[in-house]
Amino acid sequence: MSTINFAAREINCKIVYYGPGMSGKTTNLKHVFSKVPAQLRGEMVSLATEDERTLFFDFLPLDLGSVQGFKTRFHLYTVPGQVFYNASRKLILRGVDGIVFVADSAPNRLRANAESMRNLRENLAEHGIDVREVPIVLQVNKRDVEGALPTEMIRAVIDPKKELTLFEATAHNGGGVFETLKSVSRLVLDRLAQNK
Amino acid sequence: MIEPSLALYGDAFERVDRHLEELLAATGVRYCLLVDRKGFVLSHKEALWAPRPPALDSVATLVASNAAATAALANMLGERTFSEQTHQGENGTLYVESVGDSALLTLIFDGSVPLGRVKVQTKKAIAGLAAILKELQDAPPVQLGEDFSHGATALLDDLFG
Repeated sequence: MSTINFAAREINCKIVYYGPGMSGKTTNLKHVFSKVPAQLRGEMVSLATEDERTLFFDFLPLDLGSVQGFKTRFHLYTVPGQVFYNASRKLILRGVDGIVFVADSAPNRLRANAESMRNLRENLAEHGIDVREVPIVLQVNKRDVEGALPTEMIRAVIDPKKELTLFEATAHNGGGVFETLKSVSRLVLDRLAQNK
Repeated sequence: MIEPSLALYGDAFERVDRHLEELLAATGVRYCLLVDRKGFVLSHKEALWAPRPPALDSVATLVASNAAATAALANMLGERTFSEQTHQGENGTLYVESVGDSALLTLIFDGSVPLGRVKVQTKKAIAGLAAILKELQDAPPVQLGEDFSHGATALLDDLFG
């Protein structure tokens, strides 16, 4: 549930980019950061190792503007994708309002996608929520990588029932980044309006 | 809902504000923030004489993440949580203390402020703040409705095309 601050008339929502290591979560945020006008975004915080792998999280605050007199703000987070960082990954999922699952198209990362999705379900379950309760959007990233697997094949592994909205993306040049963000934002705000 | 959520408004917000102002005056700290566990700033006050604060969103996010990480450590050590943390640098100090289960009170100050005084005054303020936040948990949920949904859609179309 989002944090609503009535005095300042502010609504705050938390969106988390999830997915296997190196799938492009940080790249998504960097693209948003570089394209959104400075007055709409805050500073980007990255806690990364020297070789730029996310260690704890990346954080980017984003002002959407006012809806019905409420200043609406999104906080975008990424998690560290590497398998052994699960303790910190779980912390970042606390209080999440919407999730973007960034899958990797590379043929040797299919299994990693599946494991990451399973890990997401497990971590959410540990916090006591069902995956169906929180809005999730799929982004199949790196469509331009050599030998990229067909989107449907990747989907069959991470979303076999085809329940989630899916976007193809090439985050390094911005392809599909804003489409994905818009879609998840919409789901989050719709849920807010339904007072769930 | 993973974390308890807070809606801080009206009378409660003003009372929280007053507590923060009193704390600021009593301790002589530079900045005083009430942050929820998710990293959102609920309220903040700064001393008039203090220089411009660093990006408060970033501060709040890092304080909340830090608290989450140390709480996980506390669990491993058989504690429920560590309720207070002091980070002392050469010139400045960051002092964080839990306010109930849903918020963190964060004070930032320089070497001229005695830590003992901050601790004593913070404990006093927290008793008042915790009571206000507890009242809020029983407040009725906010109703946003259909209009909000339409407005939000228009806003997203505007921003993302």
